Amino acid sequence: MSAEGLGYRIGLEIHVQLTEAGTKLFCDCKSNYRGMAPNTNVCPVCLGLPGALPVPRRRPLVLATAAALLMGCEMPTEMVFTRKHYFYPDMPKNYQITQYQGGGGAPICLGGRLRYYDPDLDVWRSVKVRRINVEEDPGRTEYEGSIQSSEYAYVDYNRSGVPLIEVVTEPDVEGPREARRLVEYLLLALDYMGATNPRLEGSFRVDANVSVEGGERVEVKNIGSTLDLERALRYEIFRQSKIISQGGKVRRETRGWDPVRKVTKPQRAKEYEEEYLYFPDPDIPTVPIKDLVAEARPLLLRTPERLMEAIVSYGVRQRRSWALVVTKPAAQLFLSSVRLGAEPRAASRLIAVDLKGLIKKFGKDPNDPSSWPGPETIARLTMLVASGEYTYDEIKYNVLPAIANDPMLDVKGVLPPKANNIDNVIDEVIMSEVKAVRDYLDGKAKALDYLVGRALRRMAGLAVDPKAVRTSLEERLARLTSGTQ
Amino acid sequence: MRPLQAHEVINEVLSGSMDLEDHVLQILERVKEKEDTIRAFIALAPESSIRARVREVREWLREGRRPRLAGLVVAVKDNISTSFLPTTAGSRILEGYVPPFDATVVRRLMEEGAIVIGKTNMDEFAMGSTTELSAYWPTRNPWDLERVPGGSSGGSAAALAYGGADLALGSDTGGSIRLPAAYTATVGLKPTYGLVSRYGLIPYANSLEQIGPMARSVRDLALLLDVISGHDPRDATTLRVPPTSTFIAKPADPRSLRVCAPPELLEASEPPVKAAITKLLGRLESEGAAVIYDRHLTTIDDALAVYYTIALAEAASNLARYDGKLYPFVRIAPTYTGTATETRSRGFGPEVKRRIIMGVTSLSEGYRDELYMAAAKGRRVIRDEVLAMSRNCLIAGSVSPVLPPRLGERITDPLKLYALDIYTVIANLSGVPSLTLPVDFYSDLPIGMQLMGPPLSEAQLISAGLLVESLTGLAGVAAP
Ligand SMILES: [Zn+2]
Repeated sequence: MSAEGLGYRIGLEIHVQLTEAGTKLFCDCKSNYRGMAPNTNVCPVCLGLPGALPVPRRRPLVLATAAALLMGCEMPTEMVFTRKHYFYPDMPKNYQITQYQGGGGAPICLGGRLRYYDPDLDVWRSVKVRRINVEEDPGRTEYEGSIQSSEYAYVDYNRSGVPLIEVVTEPDVEGPREARRLVEYLLLALDYMGATNPRLEGSFRVDANVSVEGGERVEVKNIGSTLDLERALRYEIFRQSKIISQGGKVRRETRGWDPVRKVTKPQRAKEYEEEYLYFPDPDIPTVPIKDLVAEARPLLLRTPERLMEAIVSYGVRQRRSWALVVTKPAAQLFLSSVRLGAEPRAASRLIAVDLKGLIKKFGKDPNDPSSWPGPETIARLTMLVASGEYTYDEIKYNVLPAIANDPMLDVKGVLPPKANNIDNVIDEVIMSEVKAVRDYLDGKAKALDYLVGRALRRMAGLAVDPKAVRTSLEERLARLTSGTQ
Repeated sequence: MRPLQAHEVINEVLSGSMDLEDHVLQILERVKEKEDTIRAFIALAPESSIRARVREVREWLREGRRPRLAGLVVAVKDNISTSFLPTTAGSRILEGYVPPFDATVVRRLMEEGAIVIGKTNMDEFAMGSTTELSAYWPTRNPWDLERVPGGSSGGSAAALAYGGADLALGSDTGGSIRLPAAYTATVGLKPTYGLVSRYGLIPYANSLEQIGPMARSVRDLALLLDVISGHDPRDATTLRVPPTSTFIAKPADPRSLRVCAPPELLEASEPPVKAAITKLLGRLESEGAAVIYDRHLTTIDDALAVYYTIALAEAASNLARYDGKLYPFVRIAPTYTGTATETRSRGFGPEVKRRIIMGVTSLSEGYRDELYMAAAKGRRVIRDEVLAMSRNCLIAGSVSPVLPPRLGERITDPLKLYALDIYTVIANLSGVPSLTLPVDFYSDLPIGMQLMGPPLSEAQLISAGLLVESLTGLAGVAAP
């Protein structure tokens, strides 16, 4: 239900580059072109030069098949590629090699279902998948300043031919937030399969179809982040609902998402009916799906869902397991430290909550495995807690910051000696900080913070649990007021 | 006139009794003498680079290598990519385009010591049957300057026919090697689909066409076929087969030869054509071959319509890329659409535009089922019939229903032009090999015959061709 109370329908077309395929779809140029000078990741094939022929590369096909398996797709017996024609400066051949149902062609997925986790409500949801296409990405056109002011259009074909899958859902996505979660899950799953790195700029884009009860379907194109997807959908539902509730008409149109102003804007309408002249590409013999399925199956052993199941089986709560799984190195670290004997619940909290938070706070990348300590470190720390040698908070405040700062650090060196004379220190603080004690007793609660700080300073270099210090102080001060001292 | 055949030249070069430079220079002289009238080449390699190449090959020989085409002069059709010569496919729209890569067949030629002398004239993008539809100029038939050499590989055939090359490469989409061979008394082969790599062939109709060898004798043709054939990882449609070894093939024993001569491949031909082929078939019979005249190819009535529907659909798609953005020829307009429109309207000739429009029509939403899809179905029916017949016999027939037409005679009416392909498109629709070789002359005009066999029967066809040559005595013939 929208803000205005009208029903709506959302369907998504999610384009994901198979950045980790290694090669482009039909040649040996690289699937990840980032950081390369313009037009250096090209060859006669991906430049579409006449006579240079597309030869399907195995890895992209296997990865696309794995995606279809993930979604439990019905699949044709053969992988067929179809030419789709339209004139565009960044399309070298003026046709795109893609897949299409009809004219002797078929997409790799003829219908399936994507299960995805909704961490906000801690439930699993699913959406019907209408089809999945494997296709080649076009190049990119760039301008100096704006498209209007630029004297030239610069075309860079580094991206041309990069393998892409297009996942088209049925219009039964529950809402903007769910749309976002769905895409996040899909990207994570493809990341785990080794198909894509969703953190690379431009590695995915979403077109969303939104219709509000009483209006026609509007397509919002080129949404480049999952957060923007949620925003664009909310905006569009609000915009359309407003028009309809004011008695206006929502006509079928294509709009673009402006991520800076956070609005959708109408795109220039097409002047004529689209006529794509689909027919199967005669340069590309069909590829039997059966062998591809056999090669793709092992990739499904590591979906986020299966990993979460594995983690939950150690007694970790599902939502916490998701917090581990969303960061690939964190999930791996968890599993290997548990294998080394780490106490699972402490390890999951340590990794997914506290260490991850510190890594981010220090400006490091939690998706980079080198930002994380080794599994022995985690195992050792949880065992210290389990054995009662240290409290969790003692580890959290005294050890984790140092490890987040330098993951290679030896725990032994960081582990401070236990401060087992808290009571003496607290006595000393109360004796020497007469004014603060009086303030506290007069009702100035803030003075307690100061006293805790003084106590911690006296114990610098020792393992201290700040919470324990605070509790002891409170108890001692309470005894002071009751006059038992 | 009988210049040395390529395999004879090779023997002399490798045995040291002939200097390859003398041989090459002799051919260059012949080219200089004939090109003004025949105009078989769009581009000739500069003499300096030919001399450099001759020195390179001579060095290989000195090192003891024995490349199979050492010093042989090869003419290459202008739709086959060469990194060292412009490649225009006979079109203005590719004027000045020098590909950054060599076609696989060209690479294989170069590895075997061939000297590529130049790029031969052709109908624009191979769309034509006479070489009059070249954007540059028509090529004349060396046997009769008033007549066409056939097309679209007319430049390659004409160059061979006047002795301007030892061997030549052509491409055959619906008869483009075989018609010119028949009109110039040369030998041409449309190989089994997938036997020769199309990598580097500027596409007209991908599912139909093959690059093929052209020569003045069957033995020479076999020599060239063995070099260019075989699987190529750069062309996914090539078959997983090694190169052929047809050069060592022996003439077929007529007593074990079975030939089908379906009336549909002969009856409608002009009387001299029909008579020459009938006479040859009679001679084969008297040598002991079985010739079967009452087997029918009933699907031939649909062949032209099916062929043109498929070919033009693929052509319209292939030609979409020429919009001025990646190739030298461009007519700039203020917008991309304007530039693409101007470039294409200036760069393509009228026949190419006609075929693009027809191809777009047959793929468009409202017509795809009754045109393109129906043709794809019709193609399977034709193929099944041809394959079934080819299991029992080699299939013989006319190449062209007529003698070489006069310049201008056919191109004014597209339907008359397309009708020249009636006998040849069958092999392309079916994917089977078809060999064309001369059988006779009629008032100094060559007449050819084609022989088709099952897929990958090239060696068999070449054996049969050697037998036919022994009967006609036309091996190595060239125009005066
Ligand atoms: Zn490439």
